[in-house]
Amino acid sequence: MDIDAPKFVARLQRGDNTAFAQLVQHQHNYLLATARSMLSHADAEEAVQDAWIAIHRAIGKFEGRSQLRTWLTRIVINQARMMLRKQGREIQFDPTSEEDPLAHRFREGGHWQDGPRQWDLGGPDALLTRDELRHCMARCLERMPENQRLVLELRDLQGMDFDAICNMLDISASNVRVLLHRARARLFELVDHFQETGEC
Amino acid sequence: MLKCKEVVEKADALVDGMPLSWRERLAMRLHLIMCHHCRRYIRQLNALVTSLPHEPQPLDDEQTKRILKKIDSPGN
Repeated sequence: MDIDAPKFVARLQRGDNTAFAQLVQHQHNYLLATARSMLSHADAEEAVQDAWIAIHRAIGKFEGRSQLRTWLTRIVINQARMMLRKQGREIQFDPTSEEDPLAHRFREGGHWQDGPRQWDLGGPDALLTRDELRHCMARCLERMPENQRLVLELRDLQGMDFDAICNMLDISASNVRVLLHRARARLFELVDHFQETGEC
Repeated sequence: MLKCKEVVEKADALVDGMPLSWRERLAMRLHLIMCHHCRRYIRQLNALVTSLPHEPQPLDDEQTKRILKKIDSPGN
C-alpha cells in the first residue's frame, strides 16, 4: 500500500475515517517497531497509542513536506523521547563512547588477525534462513545499545534514507553512519560466531 | 594502501550504494583484489543486510478497531 499516494494523503487530510483506519492497519507495526527500539514493550505500546491520538489530531495539517511515514515516525520518536524523559532517561547519539564491535578482530597494523568465516549462504539450509539464528539475532537486537538499534531499525529494517534519519534524530550524517556500522558489525559478529559454533 | 580495518569501515557505504570518490574506489578495488578476507566481509555483510526482514505484517481488522476505539474514546 502506497501511503504517500496524493489521493490517499488528500483523503487523510479531509478527515476520511476509512483512510485513517487503513493508515493505522498498515503503519502500526512499523511505528511499534520504532518505539520498541527505544522503550520496553509495554511502554512502546503506550507511546504508539498516544502517537496515534496526536496523529489523528494533526493529520489535517500534514503539509507533505516529508514522506508521510517519516512524519509519523517523527511523532512516535517524540512520544518515546517524552516517555524516556519522564523516566529520567535519554538516548545519547554521540557514538564516541563505544568501541567498534569488530576491533578485536584486527591486528595492531589494521589488518585482519581473525578473518571472517565462510558463511553458508546457498541452499535450503542456508545460514541466514535458519530459525535458531533468527532467535539469536532477535536477542542480539534486544541487547544492542538503543542508539544503534534505532538507527538499524530505521535504515535497514524500514529502509528510510539517511537524510530523513539525520533530520528525525537531529544528528549528523557521520554519527548515523558510525552507529549503523556498529549495529551491523554486531550482527556480523553474531552470524560469524554462529557459523563457527552453531550457537548464539 | 588501505588497511583491512579501513575497508571494513567503508564497506557500509558500498552496501548502501553511497558514492565514493574515484580515489576511494581505486583504493578499495586494489585492496579487494589482494584481500580475500575483505572480499568475503563485503559479500557477507551485503547478504546479511539484504536478508533482514523489511515489511512488518499489517494489523488484522480486530486489532485495528481496538486502536481506533482508543483514539475515539472520550477525553482524546
